Amino acid sequence: MITSFIHSFQSELIKKRRTAASWLMLMSALFMPALIIFMRMISFDSTYKEVGLKHFWEMIWFRNWAAMGMFFLPLSIILFASLITNLEFKNNTWKQLHTTPQSLTVIFFSKFAVIMLMLIQLFIVFNIGIYLSAIVPSVLFRAVAFPAQPFPFYPYLKGSFKFFIDCLPIVALQYLLSLMFKNFIVPIAAGFGLLVASLLAMNWKYGYLVPYTYCPMNFKENQGKIDPSIHLHTCALIYFVVFMIAAYILYIRKKEKG
Amino acid sequence: MNTIETTNLVHAFSEKEIALQGINMQVPEGAIYGFLGPNGAGKTTTLRLLLGLLKKQQGTISFFGKPFEQNRIATLQKVGSLIESPSIYAHLTATENLAVLQKIYQCPKQRIAEVLELVGLSGTGKKKAGKFSLGMKQRLSIAIAMLNDPSILILDEPTNGLDPNGIIEMRELLKRLNQEKKITILISSHLLSEIEKLVTHVGIIHKGNMMFQGTLPELISKQQQTSHLSIGTSDNGRALSIINDQQLNAKITAEKIILPLLPKEKIVQMNELLVKNNIGVFEITTVKNDLETIFMDLIK
Ligand SMILES: Nc1ncnc2c1ncn2[C@@H]1O[C@H](COP(=O)(O)OP(=O)(O)OP(=O)(O)O)[C@@H](O)[C@H]1O
Ligand SMILES: [Mg+2]
Repeated sequence: MITSFIHSFQSELIKKRRTAASWLMLMSALFMPALIIFMRMISFDSTYKEVGLKHFWEMIWFRNWAAMGMFFLPLSIILFASLITNLEFKNNTWKQLHTTPQSLTVIFFSKFAVIMLMLIQLFIVFNIGIYLSAIVPSVLFRAVAFPAQPFPFYPYLKGSFKFFIDCLPIVALQYLLSLMFKNFIVPIAAGFGLLVASLLAMNWKYGYLVPYTYCPMNFKENQGKIDPSIHLHTCALIYFVVFMIAAYILYIRKKEKG
Repeated sequence: MNTIETTNLVHAFSEKEIALQGINMQVPEGAIYGFLGPNGAGKTTTLRLLLGLLKKQQGTISFFGKPFEQNRIATLQKVGSLIESPSIYAHLTATENLAVLQKIYQCPKQRIAEVLELVGLSGTGKKKAGKFSLGMKQRLSIAIAMLNDPSILILDEPTNGLDPNGIIEMRELLKRLNQEKKITILISSHLLSEIEKLVTHVGIIHKGNMMFQGTLPELISKQQQTSHLSIGTSDNGRALSIINDQQLNAKITAEKIILPLLPKEKIVQMNELLVKNNIGVFEITTVKNDLETIFMDLIK
């Protein structure tokens, strides 16, 4: 089973070659960092002062993550999931894939693993981007000192980890939708709809029950605006597991496999 | 033992539309089995069921005498297939398309170059498969079906889109694979004439029913049975009674006397007999049905 999975995963990676996947990942990971570098270079005065601040790294973190957590991260996941599954619909290749000697379980999880790999790459590149957005002005301009505080490695890791957990329900539900619908407009439109709904639900009392709200909720949690009895990340994990099981069952039970 | 066998395979896409109504198919080991039928007969549906691409509703499917469901992975390891339209990643080259499957089959890497050579696609290099002509895509699909060195090939209209030369090459290739490597081949087609020179066995399907199944010689003997004599005379009524006195099972259709095919000497004798009775004979023809007519008769 494990070797079968590894071979299947390698096969999936070959399929991803030359698709827009890697560009998409890089663009979405580096958009905010690039924008922040640009903004910091044109507003030289504040850039000059802020590097010395005690909360400098926290500030940089927040500036980068604000748009990422609310928009770019969910959007990227919606697109990754569609891209990976639509490859088979578009090329009429489900039937060839489903006549290869491997279990459906292996196929299901190796495709999922490719999406997760892209997601992890996105997180790594984005964190590198955040770091660059902090130091590039200092590298380019002599007058701007390097940040006074050391890079807060552990809080950054912890913060990323929380966002990672929080976006898992989106990964699972988008994967489910993308597997079920041949027309890629359906999962993308549904994803957008849910994303908008979750942003609107942010301030609602039961907003934490909307499966796509956990990323934006993360900010509220940081500001201490969330009732401490509600475990956002646990909710996210529960949704993730439920959606994954549903996706698996729907996939295995599909009547026409190509 | 039959390499592929189905019993009473029934499949309905919806309550009203029953695509297969009890298909019993027997593909003997080492056969080249031609699966014939007009558009919408149920060929693709049968082949998709065989490969597990459709959920089986009723009946049994077995490969090498073992039920398919319980041995799905082991069976698929030995099967190469091509179902309907080409199944190819348009953004990858021919080699990369094969590499995708080579990783799963874990067959030797040099197999990729071998099968490309076999179907005449060695020179396509960096060209993406999406830019291939229909015939080239079809050739690549055949290469894909052969990649894992299968002992069974299931091909759904593989000559679709091939030029005349390509069709002949394909026929030669399949014959060679069958003879040298003892590969059992199940191949579907609309046209009997297209595969008549290739197949050893024939199954004819129409509206979800198997109309005929047997060896090619059996089909040919069926052809001889339906061949007949047609005679035109000046007085068909009297001629009929004279002919039937000879215990020949004749009847009149469309102003002609129709009777089963006879040896030459018998025809001469019968003619003399009619002339002796003062009946003018102006026409004696043998009507031979070619295989295509038999096929058309079966699917009427
Ligand atoms: N996915 C489907 N949903 C509903 N009906 C289908 C589906 N696939 C096939 N059918 C129906 O089943 C019947 C048999 O179709 P099938 O594709 O097996 O025919 P075929 O013999 O392969 O024809 P062709 O020579 O045109 O390829 C047809 O009436 C068709 O309309
Ligand atoms: Mg068909």
